[in-house]
Amino acid sequence: MCENTNKNIYLPYLATVEEVIDETPDVRTLRLVFQDEQVRENFSFRAGQFAEYSAFGAGESTFCIASSPTRKGYIECCFRSVGRVTEELRRLEPGDTMGVRGPYGNSYPIEELFGKNLVFVAGGIALPPLRTLIWNCLDLRDKFGEITIVYGARTQADLVYKRELQEWEQRGDVRLVKTVDPGGNGPDWDGQVGFVPTILAETAPSADNTIALVCGPPVMIKFTLPVLEKLCFGDDQVYTTLENRMKCGLGKCGRCNVGNVYVCKDGPVFTAAQVKAMPMEF
Amino acid sequence: MQNYISQQNFNALLDSLISQGKRVVAPRTNAGTVLYEPLANAADMVIDQLPRRSGKEAFFPLCEDIMTYQKEGQKIELQDIDPTRFLETVLVGVRPCDAAAIPVLDAVFSWDYKDEFFLERRKKTTIIGLACTQADDACFCTAVGLTPADPKGADLFLTPLEGGGYACETQSEKGEALVANNKELFAEPNGYKPLPLAEPQTGKFDLKKVKAWLDEHFEDPAWDSIATRCVGCGACAFVCPACHCFDIVDEGTEKQGKRRKNWDACGFWKFTHHASGHNPRDQQPKRYRNRIMHKFKYYDDKFGQTLCTGCGRCIRLCPVGIDIADILQDIDKIEVKVKVEENS
Repeated sequence: MCENTNKNIYLPYLATVEEVIDETPDVRTLRLVFQDEQVRENFSFRAGQFAEYSAFGAGESTFCIASSPTRKGYIECCFRSVGRVTEELRRLEPGDTMGVRGPYGNSYPIEELFGKNLVFVAGGIALPPLRTLIWNCLDLRDKFGEITIVYGARTQADLVYKRELQEWEQRGDVRLVKTVDPGGNGPDWDGQVGFVPTILAETAPSADNTIALVCGPPVMIKFTLPVLEKLCFGDDQVYTTLENRMKCGLGKCGRCNVGNVYVCKDGPVFTAAQVKAMPMEF
Repeated sequence: MQNYISQQNFNALLDSLISQGKRVVAPRTNAGTVLYEPLANAADMVIDQLPRRSGKEAFFPLCEDIMTYQKEGQKIELQDIDPTRFLETVLVGVRPCDAAAIPVLDAVFSWDYKDEFFLERRKKTTIIGLACTQADDACFCTAVGLTPADPKGADLFLTPLEGGGYACETQSEKGEALVANNKELFAEPNGYKPLPLAEPQTGKFDLKKVKAWLDEHFEDPAWDSIATRCVGCGACAFVCPACHCFDIVDEGTEKQGKRRKNWDACGFWKFTHHASGHNPRDQQPKRYRNRIMHKFKYYDDKFGQTLCTGCGRCIRLCPVGIDIADILQDIDKIEVKVKVEENS
């Protein structure tokens, strides 16, 4: 991992927006290239880590690094415009400059996933934190068994990474099950209709030698964990990420804790066993 | 090594430090309020009063710039803050409750990532502690393991003496240097008698019992009645010598501005408010629970200490009269009750 070489731990690296991709009407991907040559060469991260992204004049926002560590030379973030910083980030165009601090936090234990079947379960805008790992695994495809992706959103329009969903669908070595909430399907919808936990139950992946990686809004996680339990997944076979409001990302500013666990330092990746041991405050 | 310094010589010491260009921060009155502030001359010092806010601002200011930015077309230039510009500082008249909080903050700002803003100021600051001879109803330092004569956190520790002046004990190399460089102002101790120490409320609660209850009772009906009065004003965090939560915000225009680190408080609803609208601590009692938990459990779990030094400021200032010492005492009692029930 490349630790920030700045002595000032709050000083971001500058990055140029290389590409802007609209995922949904209000969710956008920015592809970023670090301006400093040394940073460009030395910045490395692991799937699951996050960063603080700056729109100067508005502030910083916390998102995962949504691209895969296997794709070198750039990083991507993906966000919904809902506040002051994300509205400003949305105004950025190719060639514009923004700031990036990171990478921070822990990561998925990818080495421990080697040789296993993987089931990715994501809802809505929570696909990006899994997409980094999905591509990481697909780029090392031989190291894993079967790969299943269950992804859903409220409506067709709310599905992110639509082109990549198509790509995964067309690959012979991935099983993609896509779904939208009842009423979210248009006439051209060729996927499932139903909430993610229901569709996961119907998909019924075997828990044998399998790791499940779950990311979604709190309500989805709440209903998904019991489904996995029913499918005989042990709590140490299930990984998820927690997201909390953060400022520093460095274990200092004091707001992202769940009980005595700091999401920014001890997370954001946790096993279901770890999450169940936490107080219900996320 | 113990030395004596008269009040007159102590003032001369501070004036000499000021004339050397050092920042001498001590309790002084500003618009009717005693605060730790830089002195222009030692005579302004009000050493016999506990300042409204703690001494932590000498290292961790209420607001501070952490960088500036300048935009030119699509390009942006960032200007780092040079920590070497921080002045050599002497922080004076720090009571044991304030001084003991400083090592507590050291742990936060130096574990893992190093906050150079805090640590550089810390490195450049000599702390002159002062034994406490006045307690009021809000003081409870003795209940959290301190005493009014605890020199923890001080580089040089003063004990006020009958008839004026102080007995001085050096506690670190910084303290020794301060005395060695100003030898002529210090005298040999000669039968001076210390003023009687303050007598804060003691033994109101047992920290270990409180911690044991907190360990097991994140969910408990008692939380609904604890601090329901809290209005979330954050005053307790702002006057606390150990609270250290902060926000990072940009101030300026699209063209230029600065990024600042500002004090924040877990009592504010926005502190944990997600962009999605979800808030894990969506009600005031949950926010107050975090305050108690952080101080008497979470910080202890991580750093093996309590995040409270019993200065009592939060009790004195709370606009709705919440008394953290009373709450801890109540928790202490709940624990006793539970144990009795279990044993019967």
